[in-house]
Amino acid sequence: MLEVYTWEPNANSGKPLFCLHEKGVPFVYHYIDMGAHEHHGPEFLAINPDGTVPAIVHDGFTMTESTPAMEYIDEAFDGPALRPDDPYRRWQMRVVLRFMDNVVAPSLAMIASNRLAAPRFAGQDPAELRAKLERIPLPERRAAWEKLMFQATPPQEIAESQRLVADAIGRFDGRLANDEWLAGDSFSLADIGVFATLYALPLSMDEEVNDEATPHLTRWLRACHARPGMRAALAMGKGFVTQRAAEVRERLGVAEA
Amino acid sequence: MRLHYAPGSAHSAAVRIMLAEKGLEAELHKLDLVRYEQHSPDYLAISPHGLVPMLEDGGRRLFESFHILEYLDERDPDPPLAGQDPRQRYAVRKWGKYVETHIAPHLAIARWAALQGKVPESAVAGLARLLPPRRDLWLRAENGFDREQLAFSTEALLTAGRRLAADLAGNEWLCGGSFTLGDVAVYPHAAQFATLGLSLPQPVGDWLARVAARPSVRGIAGDLFPVAVMGPEPGRWG
Repeated sequence: MLEVYTWEPNANSGKPLFCLHEKGVPFVYHYIDMGAHEHHGPEFLAINPDGTVPAIVHDGFTMTESTPAMEYIDEAFDGPALRPDDPYRRWQMRVVLRFMDNVVAPSLAMIASNRLAAPRFAGQDPAELRAKLERIPLPERRAAWEKLMFQATPPQEIAESQRLVADAIGRFDGRLANDEWLAGDSFSLADIGVFATLYALPLSMDEEVNDEATPHLTRWLRACHARPGMRAALAMGKGFVTQRAAEVRERLGVAEA
Repeated sequence: MRLHYAPGSAHSAAVRIMLAEKGLEAELHKLDLVRYEQHSPDYLAISPHGLVPMLEDGGRRLFESFHILEYLDERDPDPPLAGQDPRQRYAVRKWGKYVETHIAPHLAIARWAALQGKVPESAVAGLARLLPPRRDLWLRAENGFDREQLAFSTEALLTAGRRLAADLAGNEWLCGGSFTLGDVAVYPHAAQFATLGLSLPQPVGDWLARVAARPSVRGIAGDLFPVAVMGPEPGRWG
């Protein structure tokens, strides 16, 4: 029995969904509504006391780290291999994932949540917001949400995040100039990890990511959006992610692929 | 293979322990962190972030110590140290990530405070050669970490100690019944806690003693001293 407790097919919460669809592994999807703060509620905290999504439970074994969980999924289930055989290529795959997890995904999360989520908190009762903060188990997560709820992210931190994302876009474009996929000539977990966070760039950063500015990254985004597994995962969302992905495919000209 | 490493760097110690566990030889290039040799133009030319360790293998340069450990395990699979089944391997990778995101950055801050770190005049020029995130981290250190940051880092390290104890409950080794890369990656960091006045639960102390007794660890014991240098950047957004 394989159960995935997660939010939308987006960033960390999407990684297991993309992975399982690419492998063709059946699973039960429990939707955790982050907008309603369900990931900080008692039912989810009983599964993952850290209050972070995703949580993946396989025959009673609970995993809460999305990148190691992707390697677990690749090892524990049949289906196409999602890691290269060559040790150096595997190292490359893991370093791409680490760079995403430590630098790119948090930077984009800071930018996006300040743009999209922070305004929603502006008119709310500070006491209610404090009560919500109290329920967040991890101090580092609590600090990030506090900055969001009270519009306290320093502008220079957002600027540094924008610089890091622009730098990463250049790096990925450069890598994809030499290789078809991020860890060589086969599709791998590196592609899943990066795509889960960057799938919407042709819309959200259309001046920076397009056929002229980043031909190799755009070629790769088109190839990822055309994969049936990636599409099936993106179709599982309950709201803006699925709609957004359809608009991106339209923009990239892969709507009917 | 050629390993660029520094005594006092816990990440370097992990790679040296791994080489010994595997019976592998690498040519060693030793850098002196106290003299800031990791920020010299020569080293930055081959390691742009000025980080140790770095492994050269057949003309390729490999960074990120935990992924170097995994690379060495897959390059030379005997004896296998990445875990015996998918669950144990998940635990190994979980700790490989945890040590990098929740232990090493906070340990660097705690070390800097405890050892009263100070960038010497002779090393200031080197900071200007670093890429922005690393330069900013060093400048924060040079200006001194505030009390709030120190309290946050201390709490993070004590939490790490409790999590280590939880996974060691009933287990001889960190990731279950056999010695793995998880032990190799975490040990050199956890071994510094006592020197910095951070107490660890009893099961963690017992585990440290078991790891310390291995010949691979005894061989590099002289490298396991704390130095006031910055580690990985603390998490960017929680």
